[in-house]
Amino acid sequence: MTLAAIAEKDFQDAVRSRGMIALVALFSLLVAVFAFVIRPTGQGEQFATELLLRFFVRPFLVTTLVPLVAVVIGYNAVSGERESGSLKLLLSLPHSRADVVFGKVVGRGAALSIAVFAGFLLPAAVLAVLAQTGGIAAFNVGSYLGFTVFAAVLGVVFVAIAVGCSAAASTQRRALIGGVSIYVLFVLLWGAVTGQFLGAAGGIVDPLPVSTEQVRTFLRVSNPTTGVEILSNAFLGGQLFAGETVNRQISAASMLVFWTVAPPLVGLWKFDADDL
Amino acid sequence: MTAIELRGVRKEFGDVTAVRDLDLTVQEGEVYGFLGPNGAGKSTTIDMLLDLVRPTAGTVRVLGRDATGDGVAIRRRTGVLPDGFAVYDRLSGREHVEFAVRSKEADDDPDALLERVGLLDDADRKAGGYSKGMRQRLALAMALVGEPDLLVLDEPSSGLDPAGAKEMREIVQREADRGATVFFSSHILEQVDAVCDRVGILRDGELVAEDSVEGLREAVGGEETLEIAVGGADGASDAAVEAVRAVDGVSRVDRDGDALVVSCADGAKTRVIAALEDAGVDVADFHTREASLEDLFLAYTEGDAADGDATEGKVAEGDAAEDDAAEDDGTTPDAAAADEEVAE
Repeated sequence: MTLAAIAEKDFQDAVRSRGMIALVALFSLLVAVFAFVIRPTGQGEQFATELLLRFFVRPFLVTTLVPLVAVVIGYNAVSGERESGSLKLLLSLPHSRADVVFGKVVGRGAALSIAVFAGFLLPAAVLAVLAQTGGIAAFNVGSYLGFTVFAAVLGVVFVAIAVGCSAAASTQRRALIGGVSIYVLFVLLWGAVTGQFLGAAGGIVDPLPVSTEQVRTFLRVSNPTTGVEILSNAFLGGQLFAGETVNRQISAASMLVFWTVAPPLVGLWKFDADDL
Repeated sequence: MTAIELRGVRKEFGDVTAVRDLDLTVQEGEVYGFLGPNGAGKSTTIDMLLDLVRPTAGTVRVLGRDATGDGVAIRRRTGVLPDGFAVYDRLSGREHVEFAVRSKEADDDPDALLERVGLLDDADRKAGGYSKGMRQRLALAMALVGEPDLLVLDEPSSGLDPAGAKEMREIVQREADRGATVFFSSHILEQVDAVCDRVGILRDGELVAEDSVEGLREAVGGEETLEIAVGGADGASDAAVEAVRAVDGVSRVDRDGDALVVSCADGAKTRVIAALEDAGVDVADFHTREASLEDLFLAYTEGDAADGDATEGKVAEGDAAEDDAAEDDGTTPDAAAADEEVAE
């Protein structure tokens, strides 16, 4: 297995791109802006870390920006090397095509995670210092760090989907179209698309031993952004894999695993059969 | 053992056949030059050795293993210099070689390899800033990692200046001396002449010749070409052409202005001159051309060599022949006499 060698090389390559630095700066800036917006204004009002994360950072930053960045990082992972010719250099070494695809998922997933952590930790350091000096009442480091992990997980899932698409695409153009489609489908139109699907499939669902409502819930949970929302909210509420939503959380976690593994496998299946 | 063995290999891309029914064997330790014009199917063949492209029909075996099923094991013992590759712009030269060392699970010193290809001074620079020749050297350094049993080099001299091409040949020679099998492609015969044990010439996806360079030269060089400048009022008249054509051993006569271009067997030269003089034609000057490597190559890749009739090809027409092969026969008594007559 030379997957580790590819992952490390790809990680090095990715973290050196100018885009990565811009990304870290952007994350830092946005988190700082949100923190400033909800800063405690009066006496006795608490700075709520959970409030910051749950109602500002997650909807505006994590579930919209992180998938976008992940798609941008992942969509050209394989197709870009194929088009430039560096794939020839890569495959002249003893790598299997599976090593290439999964090495890319690992390398770029790690690069994105680093960007997310770096981007979130800079504002966290400032918040922690403010909490120490009494500038804000309290800053919950545990919640903040845990939440950052969920943001990174969401990024890795989208990197995996985008890399799978990139492996299947024979040209950069197709990979780009695929990447844009992934973002539009999962982030912007999931509700509308699945709603249409349910409307059209009503006749098929009826005879099955499941209610339309159950199918609707399943489809909602199937979206990785919703999956991460469910899990991170449970985490911030102190109810991770516990409480009354535990079944839904398990479904969400399973779907996240599915989206991390299945798209690269499908991409590999096509990539493995191609003449390069 | 055979290092490379292709049996009945055929590759079609859509309705284009890039390689057709190719049989090719390279023995272990051999230096094999794979020649052909651009588009002959060389790169497709090499891509099949490396499992980048899968054959439509036939079997490809490399180092005793099936290329399609066992590509990773093959490439662990193979060094490859691909054609039309790109480097990782943001990684340095040294990082490229380190990556190759890790990938091959070898223990080479990257700096030693970089020094061998003349890149050590630029090892810390980002490869994105390298020239074409430097990229070629970098890929060669990566190919040399792990003392491979087989080196596959696709157009290794492309992008290199003459000095660089010479260094490349020396490295290839040293690898061969170490015992490695070397398989490389080129569209320039001169590059392979010095180092190859054997060459194969590919044309339109088919192997049209396979021999040592000397063997190929002999096969084509059974004939020689005379260029005869004809003086006198008639010039290269029909009578002159007829007279030469009647000579035993002459296979072809063409007119080129006031000159005759005659393809004939070795030794027919004096009979041709004699016949012309008997016919009352003034021979002002003549010289012989030997087939150059360039002609040889063109004979196989453009002419009718595939039908086993290389001598009818374009052997006689290459311009390059005049520089390196002109044999000065102008001082023979007959020709000298002819010169005097012209002077009068």
